[in-house]
Amino acid sequence: MNVVKFPHVPQASQGWQPVELQQFLSMSSNVIATGEASSWDVGVTERGDPQFFLVGPPPDCDCILSISRLGRLFVIEDGAGRVLVESNNPMLLAEQAVAALRRRKVAIVARVALAWGALREFFEEKTDAMLGEPIELLTHIAPQFAPLA
Amino acid sequence: MKQHKTQVVSSGAMQIAQADQRAKQLRKQAGAWLKELRARAGLSQIQLAEALGFKYYTFISQVENGFGRVPTESLEGWARALGIDPSSFTRKLLSFYDPELHRLLFEVKR
Repeated sequence: MNVVKFPHVPQASQGWQPVELQQFLSMSSNVIATGEASSWDVGVTERGDPQFFLVGPPPDCDCILSISRLGRLFVIEDGAGRVLVESNNPMLLAEQAVAALRRRKVAIVARVALAWGALREFFEEKTDAMLGEPIELLTHIAPQFAPLA
Repeated sequence: MKQHKTQVVSSGAMQIAQADQRAKQLRKQAGAWLKELRARAGLSQIQLAEALGFKYYTFISQVENGFGRVPTESLEGWARALGIDPSSFTRKLLSFYDPELHRLLFEVKR
């Protein structure tokens, strides 16, 4: 796979523009308020492309989302380097970032559901085997107690 | 009694905050170490991303800036791309990412 090399466009300001940061901050404040993230930070690549990092909750404080601007393209990645969104529309970026976070949450819920399903199946197998015997025993004994009732 | 409880809670919160701060600090150190290794290998972020099969080089920067960590499944790939033995690479990174586990595995004597 070839890494996309972007032409280095000289700009008045290499960092984030106030309007871009404003978008990211409003997105971040929502996820920080819900406890999904703990903080945010900014950085740059070796080539000076601005990056925005959303940091997850403690104790790991792992990056859960990063937004990078490469030339005119915005790239949103998760903390493992998976590209979630590629967009050249800065106006839709915060919305797309929130959607990416929501998908991440959905993925976590899906994983938990899968684990829960496997666990339930395991327990059902065990309890069926355990319950099978006493129920069989009860059906034999119960008629004998009936006259005493 | 109530005052004592408040003191215990606030000291506990302070310890957690210090631990979080320490974790962030170690992540930054890991990033700086990886950056140094890449420089020693004579690779740019783009070249390393290419060697690791990433579409963009932004994740390399995320890790080097101390925000992300090298995923377990790609530790060997990173080590080989940086020209370092995967085992010692992983051991060193573990000392940054999970110092307690590193201590128990490699520092505690039987």
